[in-house]
Amino acid sequence: MNDEIILEHGLTLDEFRVIKEYLKRDLTIEELGIFSAMWNEHCCYKTSKKWLKKLPTSNEIVIQGPGENAGIIDVKDNDGIAFKIESHNHPSYIEPFNGAATGVGGILRDIFTMGARPIATLDSIRFGEISTDKTNYLLNGVVHGIGHYGNCIGIPNIGGECEFDQTYDYNNLVNAMAIGHVKNDSIFYSKPKTIGGLIVYIGSKTGKDGIHGASMASDVFSEDDEDEKRPSVQVGDPFMEKLLMEGCLELMSSGLIESMQDMGAAGITSSSVEMASKGNVGVHINLDKVPLRQPLTPYEILLSESQERMLAVIEKDNNEKIREILKKWQIDYEVIGEITNTKRVVFSSNEKIVVDLPVDIIVDDAPEYDREFSLPKKRNQRNFDTSKLNIEKMISNYMNNLNYLDKSWVYNQYDSTVMGDTIKEPGQSAGVVKIHNTEKAIGASTDCNPLYIRINPEKGMIYTVLEAYRNLIASNIKPMAITNNLNFASPLDPNIMGEIVLSISGLSDIAKKLDTPIVSGNVSLYNQTNDRPIDPTPVIGMVGCNSNWKKILQNKFIKKNDELLLLGKSLGGDFSPYFLQDQKIISSICEFNELLAPDIDLEIKTAKFIQEAAEKDLIQSSNDISRGGIFMSLIKMTQKNLGFSIKVNDEKDIFCEYNAGYILAIDQKNKEEVFSMLYKDQINFLSLGQVKLNTFEINSKKFNYSDMMDMYYKNFYKLIN
Amino acid sequence: MSFKSAVITFPGSNCDRDALTYLKDLTHGEVFNIWHEESSLPDVDLVILPGGFSFGDYLRSGAMASKSNIIHDVIDHANNGRYLLGICNGFQILTEIGLLKGALIQNKSIKFLGKDCYIKKKFDNKFNCNIKDSEVLQIPVAHNEGNFYCDQETLNYLQNEELIAFEYCRGEDSIDDGNINGSLDNIAGITNKNRNILGMMPHPERAYQDFHVSKDGKKIIESILS
Repeated sequence: MNDEIILEHGLTLDEFRVIKEYLKRDLTIEELGIFSAMWNEHCCYKTSKKWLKKLPTSNEIVIQGPGENAGIIDVKDNDGIAFKIESHNHPSYIEPFNGAATGVGGILRDIFTMGARPIATLDSIRFGEISTDKTNYLLNGVVHGIGHYGNCIGIPNIGGECEFDQTYDYNNLVNAMAIGHVKNDSIFYSKPKTIGGLIVYIGSKTGKDGIHGASMASDVFSEDDEDEKRPSVQVGDPFMEKLLMEGCLELMSSGLIESMQDMGAAGITSSSVEMASKGNVGVHINLDKVPLRQPLTPYEILLSESQERMLAVIEKDNNEKIREILKKWQIDYEVIGEITNTKRVVFSSNEKIVVDLPVDIIVDDAPEYDREFSLPKKRNQRNFDTSKLNIEKMISNYMNNLNYLDKSWVYNQYDSTVMGDTIKEPGQSAGVVKIHNTEKAIGASTDCNPLYIRINPEKGMIYTVLEAYRNLIASNIKPMAITNNLNFASPLDPNIMGEIVLSISGLSDIAKKLDTPIVSGNVSLYNQTNDRPIDPTPVIGMVGCNSNWKKILQNKFIKKNDELLLLGKSLGGDFSPYFLQDQKIISSICEFNELLAPDIDLEIKTAKFIQEAAEKDLIQSSNDISRGGIFMSLIKMTQKNLGFSIKVNDEKDIFCEYNAGYILAIDQKNKEEVFSMLYKDQINFLSLGQVKLNTFEINSKKFNYSDMMDMYYKNFYKLIN
Repeated sequence: MSFKSAVITFPGSNCDRDALTYLKDLTHGEVFNIWHEESSLPDVDLVILPGGFSFGDYLRSGAMASKSNIIHDVIDHANNGRYLLGICNGFQILTEIGLLKGALIQNKSIKFLGKDCYIKKKFDNKFNCNIKDSEVLQIPVAHNEGNFYCDQETLNYLQNEELIAFEYCRGEDSIDDGNINGSLDNIAGITNKNRNILGMMPHPERAYQDFHVSKDGKKIIESILS
């Protein structure tokens, strides 16, 4: 086998040498394909594994941590919540509609593969400067794709984030998260149990789409790649997935299958190898039995990433019953192999063996790198001149910046209320759905603050997690666990490797302190085009629960004259990165001051207070303070002609970022009780003002209420057209 | 006599469970879920054709479902004067069968639309008789093809015969005229001449519980039961 073919398959010559020495023979082209699929970053985490091991992944509520299709936490009474986030960055840049759609399809399969019915999705999408036609095309395609897939299947999208920054000009990010509900005694795993069990293929026929998708996602783009790589993008069919989901859930609830694994990245190769590895068994699959859409070579069948396909293991006796159920759902079904005791992965075609490899070498001997990394330089401290800013200017800067405006253009293209259990829709701090036929509410939020992480990856990551934490607390959801999606540029650059190492370390620290383990996740590296890397963007999805949905807090004002309280500690003008960047005081990353230390104790203490007060029904509504400060937090709370009148000492302070920052709206009759709780807990607070009808008033300066609403709700539409 | 109802499930229906829950919670009677391949309906007072993407919207929304096995019985059910309600994709199916006039074409924005809308009653019928003329209902919509269209003659017919059940309107926090999808004459729902078949784009089954955006969706079932 010549070097060129090896390198084309994304393996290094050293890696190939290791394989050859182990096997003591040459590889078939199919076997090379398997290593290409299994030893890339996307499947084996060869760069990040060393560091990911440091993350806390278990506590008493974790039923399933990383390593399965999705993580699962226990929310009591035999109810479990399965969830995971996954990236589809590279495919979405090449073919935005299908790339994003199949991202949603893949993450939903991860959920129902575990026996869980999906109950919500979220997304986290990032694009370059909107002024370019390319960004507009990507934005339209990605949002359409996410919407199309989720809307068709009928899973509500309950929230997410959408950010624009020139760092994503040549590499947009599309991360999709899904949440499912499962009975804890009916969870399905990918581990097969019975030697001699039949391996069955369920779902769409296999075609040429997506061949080498996983290895593409582990590579840097060059500019002329776009057209060439398009055939590597999978094409999704949400109707097929809906049938597959209903069919699989019916099979699982009737107890006819033993284990299940979805064919995601690297298709039948990765799903069968993982199955063998988990069960410490072997598999023998006859590729001639695989349902095909078009004539394919064994090599192509092994690497196809055609969507909406599942692999399951069943007992022989159940074969006909399963065929009957799947016939009702019009789903292809074929027995393609069996579980063996050889601990080898064997594929045959035309009565010839094309692959015969020990599972060990593919999985356990997968490379693990300890890449060189460098730490960020120490920052100088300085003060910034903000004297040119007045309140009108600051408002105008935020109201003409896409990142601050209402994103209904995005989320109105998603169905947020299907399934009838949605309690909080997108546009609020967290999305919340009820578990059907129970009183329990599940809340979730996706977040990342790339600018903070760029300034200081470790502290920045802590701020990112705390923001998600506040989003849940502001809804009175108890934060319970995390899924992560680590989007970075090329780890071969020691600076970027440093960002990876430090942000994982920050994530580990804060997850331990908050007791919110990481139960699932995904790593997406090489988000880079030539020498233009993206800013580090480790996104997290945080999930939590409240056993009584009636205690959920809305973010919107409820009635006039309610008192507005401010909790938290301002970072101040010189230390609020987004304030400095978006008020155009700083343009270069090297000028920022070092991040202030996050005040984790204050965060936890404040969260406890809000939960306690909310359980006593003392809070009307609440919102957290993040990018855009008190000002943006208040504007997001306005609704149905309810505005506000507030007084502050320093007007600049209402635009700054906060530690443990929240705005609470309190009924006047509960004021005293709330104040006494705050004194008792020794939490500093400020009475900001009141909710007022048709009013937008800051320090006696009156702004026109409808003008402000128009700007906040309509400017996004204007700016993207 | 207790009220009986049924919900038809097609491959790709995704609001069938929601419709079942809605009927169970509000009618307190027996509710059947019927698979599209069945050849007969049980004896019921109301049938709902639920929302979703029946047959993946293949050909046109609702086109394939309108040829399903169960449809013969659904037509018989309606011809016997019993109630038939098509919500969203169900409305599309009813126009494809020909039980209702007009067609639902793509939204004016050329985009899927998932948000709350405001509607009010236009002409009286059994589905809205408990709703006051001045009342504005807040109910979610979620569709890509909800833009009601028909020729002028049909429109005149619908107006003259008073077959328009609901029309889009402004709500208290609307930032536009309320016609979310470009429908002719703001039409959100129509009935047949006999007024026992209603098709509507908004989803009343997503607006009746305490945590929903409103409880206005209740009023349709309450009207039928009254």
